[in-house]
Amino acid sequence: MPERVTGLTNAPAGRKQLTPARLIAIAFALAALIGVILFALVFSLRGDLGTLPQRAYSGAIIAVAAAVALGWLVVHQLVLRPLAHLGAQVRLIAEAKSDAPLDLRTYRALGPLPDAITQLAAEFMAARREVQQSVTAATHRVEEQKGRLEAILRDLSEGVMVCNLDHQVLLYNQVALSLLHVAGELGLGRSLFQLVTREPVTHALERLHQRPAAAGATEESTIAVVCATVDSRTLLSGRMSLVLDAEQQPTGYVLTFTDATRSIAELSQRDVLLRNATEGLRQPIANLRAAAETISSFPEITPAERRAFEEVILREGNVLSERLEALDRDYRSLSAGYWPMADIHSLDLFSCVVRSLGEAGGPQVTMVGLPLWLHGDSHSLALALERVLRNLAEATGVSAFDIEALLGDKLIYIEIAWDGVPISSAALDAWRDEELPGALGRATLRDILNRHGSEMWSRAKRPGRALLRLPVPAPTRIQFVPPSRPSMPPRPEFYDFDLLQLGTRPPLAARTLRSLSYVVFDTETTGLRPSQGDEIIAIGAVRIVNGRILTGETFSRLVNPKRPVPAESVQFHGITDAVVADAPPIEVVLPQFKAFAADSALVAHNAAFDLKFLKLKEELCGVRFDNVPLDTLLISAFLFPEFTDHSLDALADRLRIEISGRHTALGDAMVTAAVFVRLLELLEGRNITTLSALMDASNMMLGIRAGQAHF
Amino acid sequence: MKPSVLLVDDEPNIVLSLEFLMKQAGYDVRIARDGDGALNAVRERAPDIILLDVMTPGLDGYEVCQTIRANPAWNDVRIVMLTAKSREVEREKGLALGADDYITKPFSTRELVDRVKRMLADRRA
Repeated sequence: MPERVTGLTNAPAGRKQLTPARLIAIAFALAALIGVILFALVFSLRGDLGTLPQRAYSGAIIAVAAAVALGWLVVHQLVLRPLAHLGAQVRLIAEAKSDAPLDLRTYRALGPLPDAITQLAAEFMAARREVQQSVTAATHRVEEQKGRLEAILRDLSEGVMVCNLDHQVLLYNQVALSLLHVAGELGLGRSLFQLVTREPVTHALERLHQRPAAAGATEESTIAVVCATVDSRTLLSGRMSLVLDAEQQPTGYVLTFTDATRSIAELSQRDVLLRNATEGLRQPIANLRAAAETISSFPEITPAERRAFEEVILREGNVLSERLEALDRDYRSLSAGYWPMADIHSLDLFSCVVRSLGEAGGPQVTMVGLPLWLHGDSHSLALALERVLRNLAEATGVSAFDIEALLGDKLIYIEIAWDGVPISSAALDAWRDEELPGALGRATLRDILNRHGSEMWSRAKRPGRALLRLPVPAPTRIQFVPPSRPSMPPRPEFYDFDLLQLGTRPPLAARTLRSLSYVVFDTETTGLRPSQGDEIIAIGAVRIVNGRILTGETFSRLVNPKRPVPAESVQFHGITDAVVADAPPIEVVLPQFKAFAADSALVAHNAAFDLKFLKLKEELCGVRFDNVPLDTLLISAFLFPEFTDHSLDALADRLRIEISGRHTALGDAMVTAAVFVRLLELLEGRNITTLSALMDASNMMLGIRAGQAHF
Repeated sequence: MKPSVLLVDDEPNIVLSLEFLMKQAGYDVRIARDGDGALNAVRERAPDIILLDVMTPGLDGYEVCQTIRANPAWNDVRIVMLTAKSREVEREKGLALGADDYITKPFSTRELVDRVKRMLADRRA
């Protein structure tokens, strides 16, 4: 800034400096000169007018008057007007309407004043900018903090209300509104007691006030409050703490609360249950004892009398049985409810377990099968599974396990499988009472199993392979959501012999199908014509090893097709231009996919279609897909010649494979993988156990279908 | 020859009734008080049917069941589990470990006798 000011004052330095004093002196000299000339003129024109002194006198007056007028004019032009202008400029700067520097040339007549004002203005403007900057920064910080606070309040599962000491609501979150049954906005400044019962709140506030302020550090600063909504529909349980100002004086309070209606109802149900269990059993037991003791003490009673007592024993025995069943039923309906549970996706749960075991040098665990939803407490289930896997590894000496979620009629079964023999139920029993570090409430494995209404057992899966099963509750949501997008029109079947047939037997030909590793994949494309400019926009794949779908080993990438995605294809795959805009191009993704596939056999449904897209990009991407190709469509045609529909949906339906998440590349690859695993089992049943036998069968079907296509 | 029944339970009061009922039904009855005793009795002579309490001292009922099922020579032995545990998963665990039937205590004595009879008849058929 100072440089700019210096620059301005130096600007006219090239010319001769005209100071105001000099200007005024020149102006007066000019005025005097003009006065003398005027006087001489008047004198020479009116030679006959008056005497010489008279003439000289009046001439002097005219000259002075003219000089004064001229001087005033000059002063006005050079000094007064610029001063007024300068004043206006300074006001503009002061009122923050102008940030522009002064043009010093306009104020030449004003001497050092404009310079001084320029400097002052520059410093003033700099100071003002600084103030503005710090105000902006502070506002930004406040906004940020406000945003953070809002996010916290929004994400809290508790209702939050901040009130002043007059119980007017100053701040609240959405959860609070829904817990208090307030529709729409809750006007700020409304009294809390229009919403909740007064006494518990004022009582809690009193207790908080009575706490000595100094003790705040050591004593708990919040206390528990249980109150009800004014409509008494909901019981609220929560905590209250004071809001203190800088002098540690309370200015208001914060109330956090949750809906306790259900847990309080369950507690009271539990009370009723306990009372029934004790009091309700007294009467039948009294009757039973009296009858039994009477028969025993009086063997001489008549057969008719004896018969009456026996009736009592029979009847009361039945009453006791029935009462017990009723208690048992009620108890079970309660016990599942009190622990907080939620729907969990098996993949999330298993991933936690696998990661945690991997980090701690535990056994190697592979996630297999199709993932399912289940219901439970994720944290304690993860701890339980981790402990079970560790104990299994220790007890069996095995270091590799599979873990899978299986669908039962009413329950979901978590199944752990390994090569070896089952664990005895006595050994399993011994694990139950080990405390699990990190579990809430010092829970043991038994507690966690009980919470989930579960048990566990181990038995042989097949000779040489053992399993451990642990059933857990089914999810509250629908397990399989049917695809919302319309079903894909059938892709054209390709009968390109080059794509599906290998000229020479691959080195793997003699290997059994079960021992091979496969990569099952699917692509989403912009359309159905690979040779006419349609491009891949997504690739999804999953690995199968030893007949197991490795849920944890998947490949899923979007691809930028470098061309618009036609609207008519978007309805099938849901992938728009915007979705793939930031995705890498095929040159990046295809080598990644090749690395994932390595030399596994490549499996797809209607494989030739997907392979065609891959083949066309080989040169561009510098990779070759010379993997053994397998087609679930051809295998289906071979195994089910009596069916005409060999679409993936029809096949999955025929093989009773539940479908979810279809019409994403990975979702379809998963379904294809599940179909393929079933088909392998069926092929084994047909005595097709090696790759070469399968390829012969595939080639035969290829020939037949290609032949049909000709006619 | 009379069908043979092995009762495995450590609760004498229920054994008293079960022994009486089974003898009344015309079966040859042996009694074991714990898991090891049960296995010894099976080794000595395999019974046609075992009424097996789950909560036996020492080896528990599940263990006894698993051990018997692990020996193909005892494939024909029918196992009915008797238990005070009533949850569905426990029933399922019992069946998964090789039991043929699962009866929750308390039970109707007539129903128990009927089930044993039916099971033995199926086995002979």
